[in-house]
Amino acid sequence: MKKFFTPFEKLSTAQLAVINGSWVAALFLFWYIFGMASDTHLFPTLGQVWEGFLGLYNEGLVVHVFSSVWLCLRAIFISIFISLFISYLSPIPLLQFVSKTVSKLRYLPLTGITFYLAMMINSGRTMQIWVLVIFMSTYLTTSLIGMIKDIPQEEFDHARTLKCNRWEVLLQVVILGRVDYVLEIIRQNLAIVWMMLVTVESILVASGGLGFLIKNSDKFMNHGRIVALQLVILACGLLIDFALVKTRTVLFRYSKI
Amino acid sequence: MNYSLHNTVLFVENLSVAYDDRVVIKNINFEEKNVVIDGRTTGQTIAIVGRSGRGKSTLFKALTGLVQPTAGSVLIADTTRSDINAAKAVKEGDVGFVDQKYTLFRNKTISQTFEFALRHKNMSKAEKNDLIKTYLDSWGLEKFKDQYPCELSGGQRQRTAIIEQILSSGHYMVLDEPFSGLDVGNIESVKKSFRLITTQHDLNTVIFSTHDIELAVELADSIYVIGYPTLNGNIADYGTIVKHIDLKKMGLAWSEFDSQHLQLVKEIKEAMLQS
Repeated sequence: MKKFFTPFEKLSTAQLAVINGSWVAALFLFWYIFGMASDTHLFPTLGQVWEGFLGLYNEGLVVHVFSSVWLCLRAIFISIFISLFISYLSPIPLLQFVSKTVSKLRYLPLTGITFYLAMMINSGRTMQIWVLVIFMSTYLTTSLIGMIKDIPQEEFDHARTLKCNRWEVLLQVVILGRVDYVLEIIRQNLAIVWMMLVTVESILVASGGLGFLIKNSDKFMNHGRIVALQLVILACGLLIDFALVKTRTVLFRYSKI
Repeated sequence: MNYSLHNTVLFVENLSVAYDDRVVIKNINFEEKNVVIDGRTTGQTIAIVGRSGRGKSTLFKALTGLVQPTAGSVLIADTTRSDINAAKAVKEGDVGFVDQKYTLFRNKTISQTFEFALRHKNMSKAEKNDLIKTYLDSWGLEKFKDQYPCELSGGQRQRTAIIEQILSSGHYMVLDEPFSGLDVGNIESVKKSFRLITTQHDLNTVIFSTHDIELAVELADSIYVIGYPTLNGNIADYGTIVKHIDLKKMGLAWSEFDSQHLQLVKEIKEAMLQS
């Protein structure tokens, strides 16, 4: 038992399972007691959340989940394409300014930009995608530039000794040599997009999605539904995260990030 | 052992390299000739020794064409021409380079690595496959040909890095501290690699650096000590060749390590400490 409290102590898988299981049980117990003790039920009880979940399911929760995931995937696909293009060209001295500027734009607030986007884009759905794309591209570009900077000089020299010209060095060391890192960077930045869903999906209510549902539930102070939706959003995010890790390890056997 | 010296295989003249305003190496001059021993194939094994920060790695980068000299030149034998004395200035890819970490492409298996190294060679696919198979067999890597660098042991990684450079470049191979951090087994493996390279072709030339002077004396037939020169009583702050030991002339090359070698080790260490 003392080992459980000793810093840097290595525990067996079974012992870790006991610890993790205890934490989850404690969380639910705390939730149950807290929910029971409060007359106002400001924080919903387990039963209210379950009820909220069933209600959402019957009203087409699955369709809304797919709507949100599809929006997210389209935005990621476009933004990774833009970010890869910008960051892969960052080793070219003439274009370094462009990549650095895009990276710095992550500090720019979106509020003003959406006005100009609305003037240029007619479709609400496209508008949602591009808000996410602009937001995410800056973060992805920052991470991808960091990834390129972290490549040891030895790897570039190694390629050069194998008669690679500078474009081949870029292709072999940066593009092909770090494909698995791109998936990892998407995974790390995905959480940001997922968090933006609520804001972005409120732009166009007709498109539905988890963001719309949570906004709607919030309007009617339906806390059971809100917590149920939060848990669904969390579960979807974790599932996508898991899928990306699995994809990376299955597709790239050499990937040990 | 009787030997004769033929054409020049490596000629370094007034070589200087500076990064911005900082001169790292200056006025480096040396020449190595093709060593021929009747009845056997003998390449050249050259060791560069010196204390840390004296410019060994910079010299190696200049020898491999990875950095451009600020002054001077590095010439190697041009084997593409019929003239035996033809020489050319070294450029990227002419000289194989294996760094301390045995860097490889992390996303290529051993087979893919060798195929990539041979991509510019004027050979048919079948010939390339045969050559790769020969190397895999003779260097004990056949079983691991489909493995990635992260799945290889230190020794397998070293052999892969060395073969890759042999296949890609010509007769020259530079190894920066190849014995650093290796256990006895892997040291033997690298020593065996040296013998394999130098017994394959007369022009094959291995240039390596090491902090293990005994190993340098045991393996090399020519040793250069790089250090800070003393000029007018003051120690300069750039590296240059401060001592050259020709083990062939001394009769110490290609022979069992004995007391004479040990005496030489002492002399080299002394020269290093003074520079």
